[in-house]
Amino acid sequence: MVKEVVLPTPLSNEDVAELRVGDLVYVNGLIFTMRDLAHIRLSQRYAKGEQLPEDFTGAVIFHAGPVVEKQQDNWLISVIGPTTSMRMEPFSDFVLGKLAVRCIVGKGGMGRKTQEALSKYCAAYLLSPPGCAVIQAKAMQKVLRVHWLDLGVPEALWVIEAKNWGPLTVAMDANGNNLFEKVRNNALNRINNLYG
Amino acid sequence: MISITEDLMKGIAIEMVKRSCTQLPRDVMTLLRERWTKESNSAARRLLEVMLKNAELAAVENKPICQSPGYPVLYVTLGSDFILCANIQKIFAKAIVDATKKGYLRPSIVHPFSRENSGDNSGLGIPDVEIESNPDLDYLELTLSFKGCGSELANRIQVLTPAQIGEKGRGIKRFILEATANAGGIPCPPVAVGIGIGGQMHYAAKLSRKVVGVREWTDKNPDPEVASLENELLQQMNSLGIGPAGIGGDTTALAVKVGMVSTHTAICPIAVNFHCWVGRKCKIRVSLDKSFTVIS
Repeated sequence: MVKEVVLPTPLSNEDVAELRVGDLVYVNGLIFTMRDLAHIRLSQRYAKGEQLPEDFTGAVIFHAGPVVEKQQDNWLISVIGPTTSMRMEPFSDFVLGKLAVRCIVGKGGMGRKTQEALSKYCAAYLLSPPGCAVIQAKAMQKVLRVHWLDLGVPEALWVIEAKNWGPLTVAMDANGNNLFEKVRNNALNRINNLYG
Repeated sequence: MISITEDLMKGIAIEMVKRSCTQLPRDVMTLLRERWTKESNSAARRLLEVMLKNAELAAVENKPICQSPGYPVLYVTLGSDFILCANIQKIFAKAIVDATKKGYLRPSIVHPFSRENSGDNSGLGIPDVEIESNPDLDYLELTLSFKGCGSELANRIQVLTPAQIGEKGRGIKRFILEATANAGGIPCPPVAVGIGIGGQMHYAAKLSRKVVGVREWTDKNPDPEVASLENELLQQMNSLGIGPAGIGGDTTALAVKVGMVSTHTAICPIAVNFHCWVGRKCKIRVSLDKSFTVIS
């Protein structure tokens, strides 16, 4: 039975603890986009004890870089979709432990380090439909702020008001379940059967 | 001799860039719909539905299908009577910059070391232009392919020894399937897989990118042996259960395209090149009378 959940941000530990692999999630509220360079800069600034541009407690972060348009003083999200999350694997402990992010949204799944951090800090990894950037932009109501445009449009840290963004599929949960790992192990077993 | 002038090429370039970013070609849409009807996993079916709907919306709203424009490669095949006068790379580079300014492509091209973003998708060697001639053709064919870069992260290349090839190429097939299994959801399945076999490393790599970027994903290889290999690999990939986005299902691959050339007796290079489901390409033919037709 597929469970559908609407989650307002920031998230509480209770919200996330109940999520199970296969559940469908809709997100409401403020979200942050973060790719490689934003992760690098955030972790460097944190290590130096410098102030961070946002409070990420209970946050939903989106591994994504949008296509934007500027109309007068406002940024509009033209299209937005997920990027490959695996590249951000080295930062999972920082993001979930130090920043207290509670949901990572992306595509392709993440590795062991993230799986352990999800359990340790009570967080979840959600799959956003890859390549589906027109549809997902419709849930992005407003760009509230943008930090670090010097990194380029895709790598900047966009702060967006999302409304009914989903369905996102819970693919890794706080209980150690990992849909991607299960699927991959089955595929490797199948290859062993085929080619012995 | 037919001279392809700058004026002729400029108009074509702008159309090709716009079209490839906003309209998924017929072959890809056909395969997605086919696989959707056959998919038995309900979560996978739902994802395929979203993908189809997103592609349809992009075409209607004239927006990029995916936020990532991927990496542009232009394939040019000159028929016997054609001379390329225009500076084709410069013309396509400008068309890409113009399309970026109009919001059809996200600025995504950066310097490899500094990671500095040019802001308009201009950059060293952009786009990659691959030119070849084919005296048997009486037309000029241009294919512009924007392959996504998440899928690049799953690519594999290896120079196998004769012992590693195994009986009837079992070692090669296993290498390809393991690359697909380990790739999981990273290359945005359902994927199309370009496979280059033979030559030296560079030749296998170039072939792997070309077959998946240029060939129609619905076509059939004219060589029956290679056609049978493509079919066998496609069936086996779809039996792995990876599914759309890697969440499980019957739809792992839409197409497998193999480019095979002879190699040296000491080696067998093999390159596995993944293309995400967003099969962005635009292919046109210019005839002897300089009229052009959109092929896909």
